[in-house]
Amino acid sequence: MLLVRNLARRKLRTALTISGITIGIWALVVFGSLAAKIDSLVTGAHSYFGNRVIVSSEAGGGGMFPLPISLVGQAAIIDGVDVAFGEVDTMIDHTAHQIGLPDEMVGFVQGADAGRDDFPYRYAAGRPLTAADEGHDVVVLGASIARNNDSRVGGTIRIRDADFTIVGILEPTLTVPDSQAFMPLTAAQRLYVKDLPPDMAGNLIPAQTITHIVIYPAPGVDVDQLAARLQTSLPKVTAVTAKEFDQTIGSMANLLSGIIVGVGLISLVVGGLSIINTMAMSVNERTREIGIKRAIGGRRRRIILELVTEAGLIGFIGGSLGLVLGVIAVTLGNQVGQDSGTVLFSLTASTALSALIFATVLGMVAGIVPATHAARLDPVQALRHE
Amino acid sequence: MTLLEATNLRKTFNLGRGNIVEALRGVNVTIDAGEMVAIMGPSGSGKSTLMHILGLLQQPDLDWEPAPSLVIGGRETTHLPDGARTQARARELGFVFQSYNLVPTLTAAENVALAADYAGRGGSRGRAAALDALGLVGLSHRANHRPNELSGGEQQRVAIARALVNEPRMVLGDEPTGNLDSSRSAEVLTLLRRFNRERGQTFVLVTHDPEVGAACDRIIRMRDGRVLGSELARAA
Repeated sequence: MLLVRNLARRKLRTALTISGITIGIWALVVFGSLAAKIDSLVTGAHSYFGNRVIVSSEAGGGGMFPLPISLVGQAAIIDGVDVAFGEVDTMIDHTAHQIGLPDEMVGFVQGADAGRDDFPYRYAAGRPLTAADEGHDVVVLGASIARNNDSRVGGTIRIRDADFTIVGILEPTLTVPDSQAFMPLTAAQRLYVKDLPPDMAGNLIPAQTITHIVIYPAPGVDVDQLAARLQTSLPKVTAVTAKEFDQTIGSMANLLSGIIVGVGLISLVVGGLSIINTMAMSVNERTREIGIKRAIGGRRRRIILELVTEAGLIGFIGGSLGLVLGVIAVTLGNQVGQDSGTVLFSLTASTALSALIFATVLGMVAGIVPATHAARLDPVQALRHE
Repeated sequence: MTLLEATNLRKTFNLGRGNIVEALRGVNVTIDAGEMVAIMGPSGSGKSTLMHILGLLQQPDLDWEPAPSLVIGGRETTHLPDGARTQARARELGFVFQSYNLVPTLTAAENVALAADYAGRGGSRGRAAALDALGLVGLSHRANHRPNELSGGEQQRVAIARALVNEPRMVLGDEPTGNLDSSRSAEVLTLLRRFNRERGQTFVLVTHDPEVGAACDRIIRMRDGRVLGSELARAA
């Protein structure tokens, strides 16, 4: 109660200090959620890549450029290759710009991986594709695509001017498959070749065209050495593994997360300095009062504790407000993002809790210096202070 | 029975640039339990400094020969560390200041309870003791008022309640009537005199005011940092 009264008697300054902390914690919560989202994308993508080598045209790996399906046969006999199969994996709409992962259509013959793909796909509704679906326009949708199109199993979805019957919908994985539409290889080949620019399409025959070869190494074979071997043995290809993914995308993402959290932390340091300033001024104003307390028998430790608690309370209030505003911002941001198919933020309970604890501890630490100074005042001098 | 015995008290203040003030130049004072004593003298005579030292708010200079001594209740205090001096102020001493010195954010009862808390009686026990003490000074009905809602006389009575709440060995007053008009001043004096008579409470009052001196048992006169002498006051 006394604490609250002490804060209340300097309303404007306390309010300003609290808003400093509020903004800092708000930034930390929002940016921290953004970083957590990036992190979960990267970790998820890493496990999606798994122990595979992805071979694509040396012209580019994004599924833009065609490979002849005959390369699959050549790859299969290279030393260390256990399973090799072709797939079409390309953006559904190359002109679309969105934050996060683009929607992709992915076609391969079910079972071609010989059971090596161990990514945990779970079905929210419907069934997986089977090899018997080849020749039919059926599709299994990732969670984000399904949500953005209000899709239901049994309904249809239009992908590149073709209507597909939806047979299954995946549960969210928080990574790549969420924005993928899985279809039989034949359907994907047809759509892919039909929409290629004329100079690239040339005389390509859909049934002999793929964009990637997926390779699983034989047991005991080093995946990165295998990738290097594939790249030299096959003409005009690039072979990448999860490690390279980590080195490029992963390190970029880590850097981005670092910058994002850094910005939040800087704003908190500024907030912390403003607590020190507020407490120092408050101690100065209350010099006489501290003198009275010391004179009538208040121990130094008591005085320090009172002031540090007061500073901690400023931090806690600022932190709580920042957290509330941060949750609002993250929720609104995700709602807006949902319409364009992207969940930007992932706010976890531990982010929230640590932001709150951090703000409180920051306040207390900032209060220690002025509080110690106050407790060291000579009571007689302090009583004369006006 | 001797409550307090001080010998060879010296205090020098270095105000900087070679400006050294000798506030006390070797003071000896003895105060008996149950006495009500006034310390009087002109400004700059060292009477406030003496009170601060007797009240353990300041230490006498220790590096003089003969060495100073301040015994309160049989205990030598000159070398006590800060924590022990603070505790002694909380449990064994009470203070009344000229400008009341109440904590402005606390109510009358909370101000008094704070002193009880410092002396080891927190929570409801401290609050009960505070209300009792406010009753003794006739302010029960103002217990929940803040200092700025009280008159000067009332504030000083709250301060007296705060000084008395722990039933200290000795209450020190620094111009306790200095900010009050004559009728309020007489009221406060009557109150102090009553606590002295009825409860045997020892008071040491630093004052300019001859009325205060007249109300006490004994007057210690000071000038230029020395005690001139001690005289019995005219019985009030």
